[in-house]
Amino acid sequence: MADIRLDRARVLKSILWAITGLALAVAITRFTFGLGATTNLSDGVPWGFWIGFDVMSGVALAAGGFVLTAVVYIFQLKEFYPIVRPAVLTAFLGYIAVVLGLMVDLGLPWNIWHMIVFWNPHSPLFEVGWCVMLYLSVLTLEFLPVPLEGQSRWKKIHDTLTKFRIPLVIAGISLSTLHQSSLGTLFTIMPYRVHPLWYSPILPIMFFISAMALGLFMITFEGHTTSWIYRRHSHRDMLAKLNRATPWIILAYLGVRFGDLIVRGQIHHAFSTDWRAIAFWVEIGLLAIPGMLTTVKAVRRKDGALWLVAFLGVLGVVVNRINTGGVMHTGRGIEAYLPSWTEFAISFGVVSVAALVFLWLVEHFHILESTPHDAEEDPKTKPMFDNLTRTWLGTPSFADRTRFSLSFVLAVGLGFMLLSGESVRSKGVEPTPAYAARGGDTLWVDGNRDAFGVPFTHAVHAEMAEDMYNGCVTCHHMNMPGDRNTECSSCHQDMYSATDAFRHSWHSDPNGANLSCGQCHPRGEIRQASTAIKCVECHHDLIPEQVEGGAPSFEHPVNQYMAPSYADALHGICLDCHHQIADEWGIEDFQQCGFCHHEHRTLADVGPDEYPTSGKVIVPNTSGDSWE
Amino acid sequence: MSVHVENGVGILTDTTKCIGCRECVAACKRRNHLEADVPRRWSLDDGLSARNWTSIVEKELPNGDPAFIRKQCRHCDEPACASVCPVGALRKDPETGAVVYDGDKCMGCRYCMMACPYGVPRYDWDQSVPYVRKCILCNDHLKAGEKPACTNACPTGATIFGTREELLKVAHKRLEKYPNRYIQHVWGEHEIGGTSVLYISDTDLSFLSYGSKLSDETLPARTKTAMGAVPPVFVGMAGTMTGVYWIIKRRMKNQQHKDVSANHHPEGKSNG
Repeated sequence: MADIRLDRARVLKSILWAITGLALAVAITRFTFGLGATTNLSDGVPWGFWIGFDVMSGVALAAGGFVLTAVVYIFQLKEFYPIVRPAVLTAFLGYIAVVLGLMVDLGLPWNIWHMIVFWNPHSPLFEVGWCVMLYLSVLTLEFLPVPLEGQSRWKKIHDTLTKFRIPLVIAGISLSTLHQSSLGTLFTIMPYRVHPLWYSPILPIMFFISAMALGLFMITFEGHTTSWIYRRHSHRDMLAKLNRATPWIILAYLGVRFGDLIVRGQIHHAFSTDWRAIAFWVEIGLLAIPGMLTTVKAVRRKDGALWLVAFLGVLGVVVNRINTGGVMHTGRGIEAYLPSWTEFAISFGVVSVAALVFLWLVEHFHILESTPHDAEEDPKTKPMFDNLTRTWLGTPSFADRTRFSLSFVLAVGLGFMLLSGESVRSKGVEPTPAYAARGGDTLWVDGNRDAFGVPFTHAVHAEMAEDMYNGCVTCHHMNMPGDRNTECSSCHQDMYSATDAFRHSWHSDPNGANLSCGQCHPRGEIRQASTAIKCVECHHDLIPEQVEGGAPSFEHPVNQYMAPSYADALHGICLDCHHQIADEWGIEDFQQCGFCHHEHRTLADVGPDEYPTSGKVIVPNTSGDSWE
Repeated sequence: MSVHVENGVGILTDTTKCIGCRECVAACKRRNHLEADVPRRWSLDDGLSARNWTSIVEKELPNGDPAFIRKQCRHCDEPACASVCPVGALRKDPETGAVVYDGDKCMGCRYCMMACPYGVPRYDWDQSVPYVRKCILCNDHLKAGEKPACTNACPTGATIFGTREELLKVAHKRLEKYPNRYIQHVWGEHEIGGTSVLYISDTDLSFLSYGSKLSDETLPARTKTAMGAVPPVFVGMAGTMTGVYWIIKRRMKNQQHKDVSANHHPEGKSNG
C-alpha cells in the first residue's frame, strides 16, 4: 500500500529497544543477587506485579486469539478473516511474554520442566502450566503456516498444517477455555487472603467471561494501533461489527459478578468507605463504561473513539487481574505493596520484546494484508553522505539499526546506574548506624539506640582479661592510628551489615595521607584491593603490639578489611571467652543468651547495686537518664 | 493431597505455660543448621523467616500480663500448600503427618506461600538460588525415633510432643480441669480440617491466621470442584466447537447447493 510509512514505527521501536535494555540490566541483577534485591516482594507478598501483570494479564490479553479463531473458523464468519492473523500472532507472542515473565519471577526457573515430570494434578497451577505449554504448541502450529507461506521448500509442512487447521483451532479454544478460567481457580484456595469483593468460588467462570470481552477489546486495540503506526487504512467496519458482541459479554460478566456478590452476601463491602470499595467501583467502571459505549454506533465507527474504548476495556480487565492477583489481598500480615521500578522495568521490558517481535514479523511476513515497506529503506537506494559533518551515514536501514542499538545500550547502562550497589548488596538489611557504648566502668551497650541493651561490666572484664588473656587487646584488637581505645562503632559502623573500614579516598586525598598509587599498589600488579600491600605495613600502631605478628587474622589484605556488623563483632568477641569459660568451669548459664540479654531491659532498669563494679557505677554521658 | 494419617504425631502448645525463653527457637536453629538472622526488609513482624522456622510472638493480655505464643508450621491434615504445589515439592508424610519439603523438586513459584492460611512458608529472598523454608517437624529425626528439637528444649513443658490423638486428650483434659484458665477451644482440632500442631490458650489465637476465623472446611476442597470440572469442560468445549463447526459447514453447503440449483437444473444430490 502506497501510504504505508515507517516513521512512527521507527520512533516506537527506539523506545521499545530502550525499555528492553533497561529490563536486561534489571534481569541480570535479579539473577545475580536474587529476588529480594530487585523487587518489593516479601514474605507477606510472595506474588506481585510480575504475576498480576505478566502472567495473569498476559494470558488474558492473548484471549483475542481463541475468540477470533472461533469466530472465523468455527462460526465461519469469513468476513473477519483479514484480522485473524494479527490476532493469532498477538496471542502467540502474549504467551511467549507470559513464559518470559515467569522465568524472571520463578525462584528456580531452570526447574520449570519439573512440571512435566513431577505431577500434582490437584494443583490449579499444574493445570495452568500444562495448558500454557500445550496451547503455546498449538499456537505455534497455528501460526507457523504464515512464515512458511510461499516457500517451496516448506510447502509440505505448510500444507499439512493448513489441513489440520480446524482440529488445531478446536484444541486451542478448549485449552484456552480451561486455563483462562483456571487462572481464577488459582485464587479460590485463598478465601482468607483475597478481599471478599474479589474472592469468589466461581472466579474461574468470571475469569473466562472477562477474558472473552478482553479478547475483543484487544483485537480492536491492536488493530487500530497497528493501523496508526503504519499509517494504513483501518479495518473500521470489521472492528465495528465485531464489537457489537462486546456489550453483551460485559453485561453477562457484570451480571455474574454482582449476582455472586449478592448471593454470598458480600455486596455491602462495595458500599463501605474503604479505599478498596473505591478501587472496586473504578474497576467495574473501566469495564461498564466501555461496555456501554460500544453499544453506540457512532463510537464504534470512529477509529479514535473505539481505540480509546478498547484501551479502557483492556485496562479494566488488567486492573481486575492485578487486583485479584495481589493488590486486594488483605490476609497477609502486611498492609500495602507497591511494586518497585525494577518490577515495572521487567514487565514492560517483556512487553517490549513481544512488541518488537510483532513489528518485525509484521514487516517481514504476510500478517497484515500487505507488508509495510519503506521506499527509503530499500537496500537499492543510494547511501547518503553528509556533506556538513563529512560522515558516512550508510543506508537508512543501517542508520536505523544504529539508532536502535544506541538506545538499547544506553538503557542498559542507565539500568545498571539506577540499580545502586548498596541497596542491591545489602540483602534486605536496612542500614542501622551503630553508636558507641556509653558509660564509665560499666558500659551500656546499645548499638542501635533502641533503648534495649546490655550492661557490660568493663572493669570486671578488664581485670579478667589481664589475668587470663592478652589484656586490653583481647577485645581492643585494632585501633585508629595513634589511638588506644577506639570505639567499636568507628569500624563496625552498621548494626547488621558489614561495612568497609578502609577509606581509599582519604589515603589518596591531597588533604589526607597524600599517597601515590605506587606506595600501596606494587609495580606491575593489577591495581586492586587484593594485590595492595597490607595495612599493617604502614600502620604499626593500628594493631596493638601484643597481637601484631602473632595472630594471623590481622595479616589480611585490604579487601578483607570489611568490618563485620556491630552485632556480629560484639557477639564474636564475647562468645569466644564465654563459651570457653562455660566449658572450663562447667557453668552452662555462662553461654546462654539470657546471661547478658535480659528481656526488654532498658538503661533505667539497671540499678547500681545490680552491677557492682569496684564502687563505680554507670555514668552515661548524656543527660536525663544518668545517676551517680 | 488428602493423605489420611493414622497415628500421626503432633505438637501441643499451651500458651499459658510459655515463659517466652525462646529455647525452642534456639534449639530449632541448632538442629536445622539455620544461620543467625537480622531484620530484613521482607520479613513480617511475627519473627518467622527463612532462617527462623519457629518464633515467639508476644501479646498483651487484658490484665496487662504478657502472653507468649509460639509460631510454627501447623502441619495441616489437608495442607493447602501441598495441594497447590504444581510439582509436589511439598507433601504430607503419610507416616508421621509432617508436611515436608523437597527443594530438589521446587521450581520457586511460591504458590504455597500464597495458599497457606497461616502464612507460614518463608522465602530465601536474599539468595540467587532460593528455596521455600518452613518447619518440617524435624521429620528425619522423627523417623529415627527422636522428638522435635523444640519440644525437647522447652523447660516448662509448654510445648509437648505426642501423637495427635494423645495430645487432643491432654488438651481437653486441661480445658476441663481449669475452665477459668483457658478459652474453651483447641486451636487446630477442626479448623480447615484439623492440624497436627494444636494450641490451647487464655487468649484468642485467631490472629495466627492473619485475623480471620477459619472455618472447618478444608482448603483443598475449594479447588476440587473447579479442578474436577477440567476434563468435562475440555471434552465439552471441544465437542461443542466440533458440532457447531459441522452444523454451520453443512448449512453453508446446503445454502450453496440451493443457490447453485436455483441457478441451474435441480440435479444435485443432497448429502446427509
